[in-house]
Amino acid sequence: MASSRYIKKSLRRDQVHQIQYIYDLIRELVGRDIKLQYKRSMLGIAWSFVTPLMQLVVYYFIFRLVLSLDIPNYAAFAFSGMLVWTWFQASLFRGASSITDGRELIRQPGFPVAILPIVAVTTNLVNFLLSLPILLLFLGNEGGWLKPAFALLPILILIQFLLTLSLTYLVAAINVTFRDTQHILGVLLNLVFYLTPIFYDTDTIPAQYLQAFHLNPMTYLIEAYRTVLLEGALPGLLPLLFLTLMSLGLLFGTYRIFRRASYRFAEEL
Amino acid sequence: MQHAILAQGLYKQFTRYHANKPTTLQEAILRGLRRMKPIDQFWALRDVSFSIEPGRMVGLIGRNGSGKSTLLRLLGGIGRPDKGKIRTYGKVRALLDLGVGLHPDLTGRENVFVSGVISGLTRREVQQRFDSIVGFAELESSIDNPLRTYSTGMRLRLGFAIAVHTSPEILLLDEVLAVGDLSFQRKCLDRINQFKAEGCAIILVSHDESQIQQLCDEVIYLREGQLVAHGEPEIVIGQYVAEISNRTHQRTPQEHLTSTTESGIELRLHENRFGSLEMQITNVQLLSAAGFTVKELHSGDALQIEIEYSAPQPIASPIFGVTITREDQLACYDTNTAATGQATPTIQGQGKITLHLKRLDLNSGQYYVNVSIYESEWNYAYDHHWHVYPLLIRQSGYEKGILSVPHQWEFDNAQTLAHRGH
Repeated sequence: MASSRYIKKSLRRDQVHQIQYIYDLIRELVGRDIKLQYKRSMLGIAWSFVTPLMQLVVYYFIFRLVLSLDIPNYAAFAFSGMLVWTWFQASLFRGASSITDGRELIRQPGFPVAILPIVAVTTNLVNFLLSLPILLLFLGNEGGWLKPAFALLPILILIQFLLTLSLTYLVAAINVTFRDTQHILGVLLNLVFYLTPIFYDTDTIPAQYLQAFHLNPMTYLIEAYRTVLLEGALPGLLPLLFLTLMSLGLLFGTYRIFRRASYRFAEEL
Repeated sequence: MQHAILAQGLYKQFTRYHANKPTTLQEAILRGLRRMKPIDQFWALRDVSFSIEPGRMVGLIGRNGSGKSTLLRLLGGIGRPDKGKIRTYGKVRALLDLGVGLHPDLTGRENVFVSGVISGLTRREVQQRFDSIVGFAELESSIDNPLRTYSTGMRLRLGFAIAVHTSPEILLLDEVLAVGDLSFQRKCLDRINQFKAEGCAIILVSHDESQIQQLCDEVIYLREGQLVAHGEPEIVIGQYVAEISNRTHQRTPQEHLTSTTESGIELRLHENRFGSLEMQITNVQLLSAAGFTVKELHSGDALQIEIEYSAPQPIASPIFGVTITREDQLACYDTNTAATGQATPTIQGQGKITLHLKRLDLNSGQYYVNVSIYESEWNYAYDHHWHVYPLLIRQSGYEKGILSVPHQWEFDNAQTLAHRGH
């Protein structure tokens, strides 16, 4: 009996060690990606918000001054949508090639392949968090620096993380068989970008198309982010709960597909 | 006793696809999905069973494609066997690719952490072993410089240092012992022996049979995915070597053909000539630096060996080899086109290949230049001329040994002697 208890204890210690190990591995790989991203560029860390800022200037010019969309605090409005979208898009893009680029890692015994998509999503989460202060500047411009509703942000981030990760598992696995997945993904994401209310508001969408727009989970997410950030209000909880459950279900499914495909990775690469 | 590795009835199937299996969705759609289907399947491993005890070092030998790498991968938990069971007890680590995760733009220190964690250590463990890793790699002074400023040797040392600090219970090695200079190799071997003493089971794959014989306690021999023998290194390696030369003998035509080379030397099959003769050495000339045919040289002279061949059918990348042996069959020098990484094209018809030896510092005596052409995977010889072309080396002074090295003696205290003379 004593020995079985000992075995149980050491098993638990092994599990704790394994969890610690996975955490360290993600931390080192994300750290490496972030460091590499900034190491050799002159502007360094500034790159993570210079690009969306430049985009913002263009959108501001076109949609506020040329097309004169009537949206209050347009800069903060468009910038929040762009940041959320950039995290989503960059993760999928990076994640698609995470397996094909990680060939030597996969051939390492005991390497948990499933963390590569997690690393891709987490790296871009860090970039997202790094540009949040700029968004706060835009918000401050219109009065409201910090609102109590901001406490909900971590939950929205978690939901987006789950949703993005579930899709990343799928594209990462497909890209091993079809190496042009990344390009096709680029085209698709570009289309979805325009079909997502990033620089326009859902109010301007004609009523008969509105339902179709709400088939896109990113529409919900961006609206929820804006409710919290711009209005300082609570987003509708039911859609969020639904989104969470959907993301979890999707993650469960795509993770299984990924796992099953992962036995072939070493042979196909 | 508890096993470190237990394999029971392992089967692993590989699927061969169409040579232009689409790798992109675009191609798949354009060319039709038919090509996605496998064209045939073969067993990379068939019914392989063995067990390995902790603290043993086991060599894995076999020709290319015999299933060695497949077995090594399965042992590393990469992929799954189609049938059978494989059990490993303890942490499996591999030195298959050295320095996985090393990035040129990060410093040595940053790389140690990334690569250490990738090889299975937690950050804390890397921290604890950091000084020891850097010390082992002998990189104390440059550890904070970016990796791109390191030489290849320094990178390999760093990769190896990280790898040997992972405290494995099962270690998989794939011909990596040729890293760095001799003293570093010594250090690596010491470390491997230390692992063994601590009860780590080690699997070594190598083409170098003598290395396996030196290092291993037992040897597993794989042929076409099947385990042929598992036992004492001397016996198993003996069987392996015998089978290779056997294959050459089997392929050597049965009739005792006799022919004469252009320079008038008699070649007798099965006596001084072996091989399948699919490709033949038609003539061999030993030439001095000036281009004259020679039968004797002074020690230190240059030598050119001209090999004329003919291949009636196309032969894919054959390997040309030259061995210089002493009369008592001791090999003094051996080289081949595969060893120098020289890619030989597919050859058909007649041609000539020349080996230039800049200087031949052999001691005086009777030697033979042996010339051979082997199949691209060393499976058997096409043609091998053994002790056919004699070469006499002359030397003015008297020395013992195999080599005659250009040298001079120099006294350091000659001056004091001169003073006493006054």
